[in-house]
Amino acid sequence: MAIHTILIIEDDRFIGEMYVRSLRRAGYEVDWMVDGNDGLAAARGKHYDVILLDIMLPERRGSEILQNLRGGAEDLIPNTKVIILTNFDQDEQSRVAMEHNADAYLIKAEITPKKLLAIIEKIGSR
Amino acid sequence: MAVERKTETPALVGKFWPAYRDRALLLVGGTQLFIYAIAILAMFTFHVSINPLEWLAIIAVGIASIIVICVVVLGVLRPLGDLSRALVHISGEPTGLTAPNLNDDYYAKSHLRPLLQLIYELAASQPESTELPAKANASKPAKHALDVPSLLNNTSTGIIMLNSDHEVIYTNQSAPVHTDQHGTTKIDLLFDASDSIDTWLAERGDHDIRAEHVWRRIADKLPGEEGRRLFDIYVSYQKGSEAETILTLFDQTEQYGPEDEDLDFIAFAAHELRGPITVIRGYLDTLNDELQQALSGDQKELFSRLIVSANRLSGYINNILNASRYDRRHLKVHLNELPVSDIYESISDDMLLRAQSQQRVLNVNIPTSLPTVAADSDSIGEVISNLIDNAIKYSNPGGTIEVSAILAGDFVEVSVRDHGIGMPSNVVANLFHKFYRSHRSREAVAGSGIGLYITKAIVESHGGTISVQSVEGEGSTFTFTLPVYASVAAKLKAAGGDNDMLIERSSSGWIKNHGAFRG
Repeated sequence: MAIHTILIIEDDRFIGEMYVRSLRRAGYEVDWMVDGNDGLAAARGKHYDVILLDIMLPERRGSEILQNLRGGAEDLIPNTKVIILTNFDQDEQSRVAMEHNADAYLIKAEITPKKLLAIIEKIGSR
Repeated sequence: MAVERKTETPALVGKFWPAYRDRALLLVGGTQLFIYAIAILAMFTFHVSINPLEWLAIIAVGIASIIVICVVVLGVLRPLGDLSRALVHISGEPTGLTAPNLNDDYYAKSHLRPLLQLIYELAASQPESTELPAKANASKPAKHALDVPSLLNNTSTGIIMLNSDHEVIYTNQSAPVHTDQHGTTKIDLLFDASDSIDTWLAERGDHDIRAEHVWRRIADKLPGEEGRRLFDIYVSYQKGSEAETILTLFDQTEQYGPEDEDLDFIAFAAHELRGPITVIRGYLDTLNDELQQALSGDQKELFSRLIVSANRLSGYINNILNASRYDRRHLKVHLNELPVSDIYESISDDMLLRAQSQQRVLNVNIPTSLPTVAADSDSIGEVISNLIDNAIKYSNPGGTIEVSAILAGDFVEVSVRDHGIGMPSNVVANLFHKFYRSHRSREAVAGSGIGLYITKAIVESHGGTISVQSVEGEGSTFTFTLPVYASVAAKLKAAGGDNDMLIERSSSGWIKNHGAFRG
């Protein structure tokens, strides 16, 4: 699955701009939402190949967004890869629950833009 | 399935001895009499002539021998009588007999004293098990009937009883339960999925008649919910009993609660500390690509020092978070099947840059042909990076650091060797303690002293070991082991991929815990 479109749901401006900048330079088409409600609306309103999802978000948490998109009987985004990207130290149960519905679960502090590009490429090729 | 209680009155312990003794005497005396009868019959048959005086003698000898044999039998059986009397005494049955006195010389001479003593000791240590309910009630009527179920509502200790279908049949007021819309009582306890009471009971049904288990620090609600309590739970299982499983829950909220708040603090601190470091590392990474043409030679060098320092800061933050989790028994590693070479690959760029910017030569030899190991890639990456950091810290510019891996039985051994200043043996013994810094800290080296502490904790969480060999003035070699995946695959699958099974094999004194955290 070739990846062209990416949705970033991230409230930290520095971090958001960093991802947008490096992903656009790498040739992806990128949309960026800074709160949970807008993020969910965007994800439901348009198809993206990849969604980068933060957990600690204003209005609506990343875990709720994921639950809304994939927790029901029907997967609303069957052709989208979801990468959880957080610095929050979740408790084990919440983490396992999210990992179950996501394609990757990463700690932001460990993932430089270069590594993120490599991961997106890898996910796109499988 | 409840066992049907027999309704007839059970036989009394006290009835055994008189009946047994009488039957023994009857048997021995009867046998003797029978032999005499045969002898006399034989004399008649073969017409042996005996005068009346001889008859008298024969009968007298016969009676005397029967009396003698009965006395001998009574003497031989005496220990059995005494043991029975002791048992009658501790059973609580009404009896006119006195209990055997341990100080009696006879018991010392016959070596019976230890047996009686054991009976008395067992009775003293388990009064309820020797006093069977039916008899106790019959012989010692209670002063008045206690309403035990409602009295149990006065304790803060929760009590829950389950029948053999694992249905709740009794709870006291302190027990964390709720009733669902069907009127069924449900237990509110957040067990770890791989180690819950359900999984434990499922195993018991097949294997055990009687079992006990303890869980520590089990919560009834999620963190942040009001009225959350934390329990230590003691469970006893007795197959076939009406209340087959009995849970006793000790409310330890006061003891564990504050620690949990600390932990939440750590979770948020992690978030706060990682935010800026994400930006610093990310922008450095971005700028490094974009500025390659613009920077002059020594500016590039300064730039790479920025990157190395940001990466090390990130590593220290991870060490602090991990040490904090470990101290609260909350460090958990997620084990996967991986080649060691892949783990190193994930940190190799960073390590190379670290070594180069500090003028060390990094020599890595991790064969890709080694069998895969059971490891958490991030955690073992931190272990190797801590050891390389350490090697850089305690060696000299221009020195070589060798990273290698070999197969040793069921383990892969990874070594990090430096040719630096080494250390004396008394330092080696304390090396893995928290905040320990060697005698070398007098010299110009920095470090929190937390790196080796958490390194050891992570390795042991994998079921491995870590050791160090060092010669003062020649350098040190740190070696840690990781289990070969094939050797633990079955156990891991059974445990759902976490590290509980492996930890049992290490001797780190780890207490298993459900609320585990791992960034």
